[in-house]
Amino acid sequence: MLMCRDLARIGSDYIDGQLGATDAISVKMHLLMCRDCRSFIGNLRESVRLIRGHSDYRMDEEYARQLDNAVDEALESRGRG
Amino acid sequence: MQTAQSIDESDLVSALKAGEQRAFHQAVRNYSPGMLAVARYYLDRSSAEDVVQETWVNVVEAIQKFEGRSGLKTWLHRIVANRCKNRLRTANREVSSEFGEELEPGIADRFQSGGRWATPPKLRFEEHAESLMENEALSDCLDKHLSALPEQQRSAVMLYEAHQHKAEDVCNILDISASNLRVLIHRARQKIYLMVEDFQETGEC
Repeated sequence: MLMCRDLARIGSDYIDGQLGATDAISVKMHLLMCRDCRSFIGNLRESVRLIRGHSDYRMDEEYARQLDNAVDEALESRGRG
Repeated sequence: MQTAQSIDESDLVSALKAGEQRAFHQAVRNYSPGMLAVARYYLDRSSAEDVVQETWVNVVEAIQKFEGRSGLKTWLHRIVANRCKNRLRTANREVSSEFGEELEPGIADRFQSGGRWATPPKLRFEEHAESLMENEALSDCLDKHLSALPEQQRSAVMLYEAHQHKAEDVCNILDISASNLRVLIHRARQKIYLMVEDFQETGEC
């Protein structure tokens, strides 16, 4: 029988639809009976939403300008070539 | 049917092929953060920045060979990954991979020996998602915690969540198995879960 710890281990696979049919049904059955795991999965889903809205590398402006300059030089030599 | 994004991208690719400086500057700003996420998986920060710069210089010529079989972003990420792998090969080094357990210690410690929750989820923040997303202090805290993720987890999360690559593409770019990618992503999500829970409970980051 699927226990809460097992569900926590595969929580991301469940919310991303990566579980096989049998495992997905076991998770759904467990969630019907377990309020704490429903909270865990709900919270994990919201964590994913928060991450999607925030995660990216911050690029400082100085480095961006350095990349622009490198590209400009390469474009110039492409133009000459 | 073409999406707005694919139309934009095909315009951008045409402009890049024509050697338009403004298009390159736009592409540098749009795509470099993701390219850095790829490079940081393999290399330290300074080497990663070098590789991204070398890649752009190379792309000025190589864009002529871009045929659109993958998206521009995926194409750029693959070039960066290959350059990083070549660097590691030349230096006779490998990425040390430590994928570990599926559960974060802060979650793993919350179960009884039988596998039921001993310390169940304290808050039900799914009910407050919108207000959470608008909370500036939480947003700063989130930035801080995402920046503090181990580099491999951070790269995997950025490519999968922020850049919305398919899992298969992330595995190819980072040269890892699907199961290892799942571990990296699940661990990172749990860290953020714990951070939000703690923030809601204490109001502090």
